[in-house]
Amino acid sequence: MTVAAIPTIALDGLLRSMADDEFVIGFSDSEWTGIAPILEEDVAMSSLAQDELGHATALFGLLGELLGEDPNAIAYDRQPEHYRHCRLLDHARGDWAMTIARRYLYDSADAVRLDALAGGSWAPLSDLVAKLIREERYHLMHVGVWLNRLAHHDGEARTRLLVALRELRPDAATVFTPLPHEDTLIEAGILEAPMSELERRWRETIGPVFADLDLPMPPAATELDRGRLDHREAFRWLWGEFTSVRRSEPGATW
Amino acid sequence: MTDPRALEPILGPRERTKPAFNEELPHDERFALFEAHVMAGGKVEATDWMPDEYRAAVLRFVEMHANSELMGVLPEREWLMRAPTLRRKLALTAKVQDEVGHAQLLYRVAEDLGKPREQMFDDLLAGKTKFHNVFHYPTVGWADVGMIAWLVDAAAIVAQQALRDSSYAPYARTMRKICWEESVHIMHGRDVVTTMATGSPMQRAAIQDALDRWWGPLMQMHGPRSPREKDRDLHWRIKARTSEELRQEFLTIYVPRIRELGLVIPDPALEYAEEPGEWTYSEPDWSELRTVVTNHGPMSQARLAFRRLARDETRWVRETILAGPRAA
Amino acid sequence: MPAAAELEAWEVFRQEKDGDPMRHGGSVMAPDAELATHYARELFGRRQESVRLWVVRRGDILDLADPDLLQPPLDRSYKKPGGYVMRDKLAAAREISGGSKPRARSSRRTTST
Repeated sequence: MTVAAIPTIALDGLLRSMADDEFVIGFSDSEWTGIAPILEEDVAMSSLAQDELGHATALFGLLGELLGEDPNAIAYDRQPEHYRHCRLLDHARGDWAMTIARRYLYDSADAVRLDALAGGSWAPLSDLVAKLIREERYHLMHVGVWLNRLAHHDGEARTRLLVALRELRPDAATVFTPLPHEDTLIEAGILEAPMSELERRWRETIGPVFADLDLPMPPAATELDRGRLDHREAFRWLWGEFTSVRRSEPGATW
Repeated sequence: MTDPRALEPILGPRERTKPAFNEELPHDERFALFEAHVMAGGKVEATDWMPDEYRAAVLRFVEMHANSELMGVLPEREWLMRAPTLRRKLALTAKVQDEVGHAQLLYRVAEDLGKPREQMFDDLLAGKTKFHNVFHYPTVGWADVGMIAWLVDAAAIVAQQALRDSSYAPYARTMRKICWEESVHIMHGRDVVTTMATGSPMQRAAIQDALDRWWGPLMQMHGPRSPREKDRDLHWRIKARTSEELRQEFLTIYVPRIRELGLVIPDPALEYAEEPGEWTYSEPDWSELRTVVTNHGPMSQARLAFRRLARDETRWVRETILAGPRAA
Repeated sequence: MPAAAELEAWEVFRQEKDGDPMRHGGSVMAPDAELATHYARELFGRRQESVRLWVVRRGDILDLADPDLLQPPLDRSYKKPGGYVMRDKLAAAREISGGSKPRARSSRRTTST
């Protein structure tokens, strides 16, 4: 299917939400570079962050082509309220348990989302999705190992994990915020099913894992329809950081 | 402890006979055989017998290098969050990741000489062991990020290339891997600097300012001149070139490249004399170097404190994973 | 799986491309096999520089470096190509036969064998 047959606004909503998700989690997790718990883990977490940024770059690239805009301008030159990442990613990096909890919730949700986009009718996106699925496998493997370790270690590790999950409760399912023009995407064969259905599939996937680890399942998100709209202070801080050099000389080449 | 190097498939038939100093001989004889072996270009593996002086010298050298890679992450890390384009963010994250990887490789070499990793971290944070001068200074802007990635890495690589033939074979092998990875960093750095040097007036001024501030530490980086005969690390072939040789090589390669960008090197006395074919320059401030490497530099304490904090905050994680995949 | 009391060294062997031998790349510190595999991937494969990795606990490697076994002193040149130098004998044979030295085979052939 040619892109002309699909309303731009629908694709923009989808690509922007995915690109912003990957961009924000990539930025946030790259904070661990140099200070992770073990040297080897530092290198591993940094790879995960770079992968997300690479994915964001590719998604901003697609969006840029669609809109005829510079991908860097899309990524950097918006005000904080115009970013469309999910609220789950508005939380600060926190301690290692928070990072792992948030990552697990995000990576498992992203896997379901990517599966629903695989084999879609717009080739540039479905080609990219095929590559992302292969790269994300390692993310879920690695973060799954950590979830397992933390959950099983009675004592400080498990306590911190439970604290992190409790803090993330209202926002855990916001990856599945219904997209504007979702129906259009489904009719056009881009997205296989609505976000509500994808959330259901996600719960089916992580249910057994959480049960096995005796962790509380995340509830429905509060105010799900605003899941990508109201960004918190933690994101405003991040925005301030990642735009600071660019804002120092707008229009300059870096 | 087993020596995995014994399984290397490319060993030639005459290359790796077990050196005589590994046999049970009187100490003085072993020492003499070892010294002769090393001075003839022979290599030493982790499982060979070594005189205490050699072991201590290699450990000190490698440990300082490892510490420098680890501390060297901090000046650039702040700017990871602020990288102004997607590509720069990826490049810088990859570079800093490599530095951590280098720290890992080098701490491994030091660990195999008998010093546990946690003890090396303890000593670094207590100020008992050192890290290179350049990582004790602040980075004030994106221009610094480019300048460090280019010229600090370049000065480091000049030293590292000379170490690829170190007598201590595990270190030499690690240096080959590190040199390959560093060559990419220098290209990234040069790209950032060149882009800014050909950019807006504000960007050009920022780059010149960065060079003005970093030139002094760069000239001090390879250390004061010392006579060849007195240098024990040279004697043991742990390293192969003197401080001055490294500094001269750095100047020969990089002064033209700096001037190519229209930047002014802040040393009016810097010039190349055809006779005897070497650079003359204003004497670097060696007292500044001494002050800085003894952890009295502008950022020394702040960075050590930051590291201490990060280590304390993640202690629970290390304790968790040492209990294995299932809790007791 | 038994828990390690501390981090242990795991040796990593890598294959650069299909058909290449496994070569020693270095080592990682890890508490167990699962994380050792992840870390091996990071330190020796994150740049797509390997197609295969072997990760082995250092203590499981058997080391043989005994010179009596590997470098025994008596002549063994009869076991190696370098032990068969025939240049002078061949020159003498050509003198007797009047034959010429066969041309060195080139690596390029005009017909396939």
